Amino acid sequence: MMMAPRTEILVEREAEVFRPEIVVLFCQHCVVPDADLTVAGMATSRFKAKLVMIPCTGKIETSQLLSILAEGVDGIQVVGCPRQQCHRLDGNLRAEKRVERVRQFLHEIRMGTERLDMERGLDFSGLQLMLLAERRANAVKPLGPNPMKGDSD
Amino acid sequence: MIIAEAKPILELVQQLAGLRRVLIAGCGCCVAECAAGGEREVETLAPLLRMALQVEGHPLEILTKTVERQCEWEFVEELAELVPKVDAVLSLACGIGVQAVAERFPDVLVYPGVNTTSLALREEAGLWVARCQACGDCRLGETFGLCPVARCAKSLQNGPCGGTRKNGKCEVDENLDCVWNLIVERAIARGQLETLLRVRPPKDWSNSHHGGPKQMLREDLRP
Amino acid sequence: MKLRSGSRLERVLTAGHFAVTVEVGPPQGPNPEPIRRKAELLRGVADAYNVTDNQTAVVRLSSIAGAKLLLEAGLEPVMQMTVRDRNRIALQSDLLGASALGIKNCLCLSGDHQKASAAGKLKGHPGAKNVYDVDSIQLLAILKGLRDQAVQLSGDPIEQPSPFFIGAAWTPLATPESFRTLRLAKKIEAGADFIQTQAVFDVARFAAAVAKARERGLCERVAILAGIIVPRSARMLRYLNEHVPGVEVPEEMIRRLEAAPQPAAEGKKIAQELIAAVRVIPGVRGVHLQAIENEAVLPEIIASADLLPRPDLDAEPARAAAGRNR
Repeated sequence: MMMAPRTEILVEREAEVFRPEIVVLFCQHCVVPDADLTVAGMATSRFKAKLVMIPCTGKIETSQLLSILAEGVDGIQVVGCPRQQCHRLDGNLRAEKRVERVRQFLHEIRMGTERLDMERGLDFSGLQLMLLAERRANAVKPLGPNPMKGDSD
Repeated sequence: MIIAEAKPILELVQQLAGLRRVLIAGCGCCVAECAAGGEREVETLAPLLRMALQVEGHPLEILTKTVERQCEWEFVEELAELVPKVDAVLSLACGIGVQAVAERFPDVLVYPGVNTTSLALREEAGLWVARCQACGDCRLGETFGLCPVARCAKSLQNGPCGGTRKNGKCEVDENLDCVWNLIVERAIARGQLETLLRVRPPKDWSNSHHGGPKQMLREDLRP
Repeated sequence: MKLRSGSRLERVLTAGHFAVTVEVGPPQGPNPEPIRRKAELLRGVADAYNVTDNQTAVVRLSSIAGAKLLLEAGLEPVMQMTVRDRNRIALQSDLLGASALGIKNCLCLSGDHQKASAAGKLKGHPGAKNVYDVDSIQLLAILKGLRDQAVQLSGDPIEQPSPFFIGAAWTPLATPESFRTLRLAKKIEAGADFIQTQAVFDVARFAAAVAKARERGLCERVAILAGIIVPRSARMLRYLNEHVPGVEVPEEMIRRLEAAPQPAAEGKKIAQELIAAVRVIPGVRGVHLQAIENEAVLPEIIASADLLPRPDLDAEPARAAAGRNR
């Protein structure tokens, strides 16, 4: 079989290259007010990202993280405010604990801890969120596609 | 409150591998209070188990339902619609609930999803400490409301032993207070230290599980 | 004064001598030889020899069997009995058996929790179900009932009394310190005839604790034998100080061993000094020496403490029988 040359146009042929699908769960307070979130729509040959804004990372339930992964998403990047700066006092601390718990689960079931992590900071732009997503994608790549992919009940 | 701990996920994987469809049954009472088997835990366990079994090469379909309590027949009955659709029920209730489900639905496999461990008080968020051992012969009045049966590692009746740490913790578990130290402190605070001079006689364990599996019969409440 | 058991330990104490007991650790196996060898090593240096009972919940040849082996070797044993592994039925049964075998001294203990057995290289049996049906103080009362009233705990009689010289442990410096005198009083009330204390390193604090017991009149009712562990290194002392409740080691003593060119020899000197020091505390009527798998050093330490030879009771029958005002 002839190897087709790799260009941007051929990016749609997912079967040949693993393009990790990353969901970014980010707190509304840690991005700049005019963040351009349409960057997520930019096609890239290296990964796919979905940006999801939430009121506070403290709202993320352990079950939600696991459900998202069970649907086939390759990785999740949680983005929240720095430790002492949560608008709801300790939402981001709670998020940290839940993220850690799910990472532990992922390790125990051999899915790979790197499918989930949390980053903290302020004033992220849309592009910076995409960079975080790419970093997550790179960490996920060696793990391979989520085994739950294409597995519809 | 009856306290249970989630079983290690790999233990559940081993139990369920090879089955096609399982119902995870949660309980809204004690196990929900201690975050081991309530609706939230069911919602956490379902995707986790699905992924775990997929990774192991034993894909499993999971149904879920949480009832008010699994120690009450009328609530266990609510599982009746889903049970015929599955190979097994994974009950996250305490041992009582698991057995109630197994008794009501004798034709389905029933597995426990948690380890029931103690009768405990929630001292603070995330911390449950055993307070009662169901000894059937409560003498809390003699020890200033602190139970040596449940809280002393050796259930001493005339403690403390020589193993109390300098910081008042138990030699056996450095996170646990030596309950006899607490009893002595309370006695001192009340000016009643001399009451602890009395040699307390051996306990009669016959009204606890030691006397045989327990049954309580109240004729006045029978139908 | 009528003897309670007629054991040598009892007679030595009754005659007013400063008693010496030593600890003999049984082997982790069925071979009786190690005990016989220790018996030969220690013959004549003590009035009675404790055989531990699955110490730290580690399975060893049983205390009752070890005690019998010592008897066969001509030494007087002190059987140790914990309440961790046996219920009231087994305890009483073993006590009757011990009496039948000629064992007269018994030290009643709570016993370390089975979690302690999984330590160092040992897997132990931390998953065992423990018993603790009765506690050590209730066990004292059980022995007293078997001896003085020929009754079991239940009130049922036994065919004839079971003579015991009843021992208990005392850890006067463990938290809560203020209660430890009262607990000693409880043990005496329940039936204790003699006490073997937790290892003493801080003589001043120990002496203060004994003084409190004396004030309550307890020293007249029970014979206190001060526990002495022979230190081998500063590290050992530090470990004991930090990890064994009730063991308080003065900092100077640790530093002394650290500075010593030959710590083992210095440790023996320290043991000697401790024996001499506790000997002059009013109310202390003997010492109980533990050398933790190092029994070989005991004869020389006891000798250099001027405690040998042990009294020949047969040569002083009148004095032994008359007893001393306790």
